[in-house]
Amino acid sequence: MDVTISKLPFYCVIIPLIASFCMPVLARWKKEFCAPLATLATAAVFVITLVIGYQVMNNGPLAYHVSGWEPPWGIEILVESLSSLMIMLISGVCLVIMVYSFVAVKFELERIITGWYYTAFLLCLSGMTGLVISNDIFNMYVLIEITGISACALVVAKGSRMATEAALKYLLLATIGSGFILFGIGFIYMITGHLNISFIAIELAEVKDTYPILIWTTLSFFVVGFGVKAALFPLHLWLPDAHSSAPSPSSALLSSLVVKVYIISFLKILFIAFGLEIFHETFIRHLIIVLAVIAMLSGSFFAFVQIELKRRLAYSTVAQIGYIFLGIGLGTPWGLAAGMLHILVHAFMKTCLFLCAGAIAYQTGRKQVNEFAGMGYKMPITMGAFTIASFSMVGIPLFGGFISKYGLALGSLEAGIPSIILVIILSGLLNATYYFPIIGQAYFSQDEHEAHGEEHGAKKFQKDQLPISMLAPIVVIALGIIYLGIFPGTALNFINQTIAMLL
Amino acid sequence: MDLQIVFLNFPYFVAIILFSMGTLIVLTQPNLVKKVIGINIMETSIFLFFIAVGNAHGGVPPIFDASAPDVFYVNPLPSVLMLTGIVVSFSVTAFALALIVKLYIYYGTISAPNFMKLK
Amino acid sequence: MGTAQFMKGEIQVHDYATRVVFRYMLLFVILYGVYVIMHGHISPGGGFSGGMIIGLGFLLYILIFGQLWDVSFRGMILDSAIIFVGIGGILEVLKFVIPFEHGPIGVPGTLFSVGIISVSNFGIGILVASTILGVYYMISEEA
Repeated sequence: MDVTISKLPFYCVIIPLIASFCMPVLARWKKEFCAPLATLATAAVFVITLVIGYQVMNNGPLAYHVSGWEPPWGIEILVESLSSLMIMLISGVCLVIMVYSFVAVKFELERIITGWYYTAFLLCLSGMTGLVISNDIFNMYVLIEITGISACALVVAKGSRMATEAALKYLLLATIGSGFILFGIGFIYMITGHLNISFIAIELAEVKDTYPILIWTTLSFFVVGFGVKAALFPLHLWLPDAHSSAPSPSSALLSSLVVKVYIISFLKILFIAFGLEIFHETFIRHLIIVLAVIAMLSGSFFAFVQIELKRRLAYSTVAQIGYIFLGIGLGTPWGLAAGMLHILVHAFMKTCLFLCAGAIAYQTGRKQVNEFAGMGYKMPITMGAFTIASFSMVGIPLFGGFISKYGLALGSLEAGIPSIILVIILSGLLNATYYFPIIGQAYFSQDEHEAHGEEHGAKKFQKDQLPISMLAPIVVIALGIIYLGIFPGTALNFINQTIAMLL
Repeated sequence: MDLQIVFLNFPYFVAIILFSMGTLIVLTQPNLVKKVIGINIMETSIFLFFIAVGNAHGGVPPIFDASAPDVFYVNPLPSVLMLTGIVVSFSVTAFALALIVKLYIYYGTISAPNFMKLK
Repeated sequence: MGTAQFMKGEIQVHDYATRVVFRYMLLFVILYGVYVIMHGHISPGGGFSGGMIIGLGFLLYILIFGQLWDVSFRGMILDSAIIFVGIGGILEVLKFVIPFEHGPIGVPGTLFSVGIISVSNFGIGILVASTILGVYYMISEEA
């Protein structure tokens, strides 16, 4: 294979890293150059990931050894088809959010913080791409910490009382989580003497009968660690505060991508390093399914009682994380594929919803769910995108969410647990109960304050009073949801190649 | 249990005890600075664990000496990994302290129950 | 109460011995830090440990003598810390980018035998030292 192409995944990590180091220096001289440079770096990463995706689809996985050290000693970067899809998703969604934050950052943040905001954003991007493509577990730990700390920085960027409090809570709990992960890595190194995932897999398959209790301990450490990081239900306590008090572009990034990359690295460790035999022999599978089911139901219940829109969206994320973990727990081809597809779909939906929430707050200053009367006529494009994302969230056919839920139902039939289908339907209905009132209010009721002056019943469509750099990302993401709902084939193709390798 | 094994491997037991203590301190102490100290105890216990993993009984520090080429070295890799861990721990501590200073300005206290409620 | 005033430099330590001893020690602390950085590739130590020593030396100086420097100079230190963090970070990244094949391994006992790694070690040292000072100043400005 061509040498230049095998280096490409490395550039996905290094370009945002160098750009993020340039940001604070640049912010000292020319604050207005920060945003274009950051966007340029993200766009460059996006183009590179597209090339990587094309290569991986046609020529198989890409492997690169950093600084030329061979795998058992050096750091290996391995991009198989699922990772290539995920880095495309990460850089694409980051690019969209970056364009959105041109205006949103000026609106929500103080001017002095702008340079640091882009520093944290690019560090987060670099950490996430590295986490997805890295094949070395200690390197994974370092990237987990980079992602976690920069995510905290993104939360606290607003500087308000709530945001600071939420960021501290997030930081403390996330550090406990990464402590558990690091302890698990220590156990794995103790058992196998390797840090490279492929070598761990070979070694663990040989010695797994010698250390059964140690392997159980290691697995439970990883489940707790990644559970805290990815907000699996009883460990989700940091998520609603952090995601609702952050500025809108940050919450879109945190909710749609940051919690998902941990799930992908958990998947890698569970299925590649530990392997299918350990997965089926231990009861880890049952634990994950039970927690996921509880998350799907209770996340929706908690979301239902929230009044603030962004808090409602944040709790909805807890429920959706449950779907993804359910896919992992089922462990069948359809279940796993649907779980991975749900990462993709949910990233699009949640980005769209949070960006819409930010846009509504930008134009009208409204943040509560009972203030949406007549919004469908004041901001037709934004509310249209909001409606598309909500329909997809509920799981109505023709939208992306339907495909992944259908896949999860098929997966639970394959796994021999048909009662899960009831839970999926129930959770979908609960989703409907907290999204449809907002939409119904927006289209079918009149705003009391403004109806006072005008004659009753005169509903007119007005144009959104938003800058084009806020409107375009929302429209693009909404179109993406519809595309995934009608043509899920390309994404499923990428996912199934990896799953055929895993199972 | 064979006591000999416990005595030979006491760093592992100490590491687990310290890890539990640190986690307990973070979760239960109302004082925010004490929470940060708890995090430091937790991470230090992990460093201890890694270095104990790398230790070999009777090994010497892994510094290359041309006059004695085949001495028995301890494994240097876990120590090197923990250097990275220390950097991470340092940055987390600095960040958490900066946030606590900010909260102190807002609330005039560093006691968590006054504002860190479940919502 | 006392801490905030101390961090702002309003309270000074009137300990004669500490002041006299540390006045002479600072030079050696920094020299030792530079030594650790320079020998990072052939002996235990390196950019992080050496930078930590240098940063803590300056920190001790500030803690003992109070903040003698006025506000504009402090701002300058913060600025230069940020710029040095940028430069050090870029150097650290370059360490991975430039030697795409095996980097030079180094000869035991010979100081200048690794080329770019020495330079990036210095970058890391500057980064760590200025990070410590920067963090200290940011926290003490806020309090």
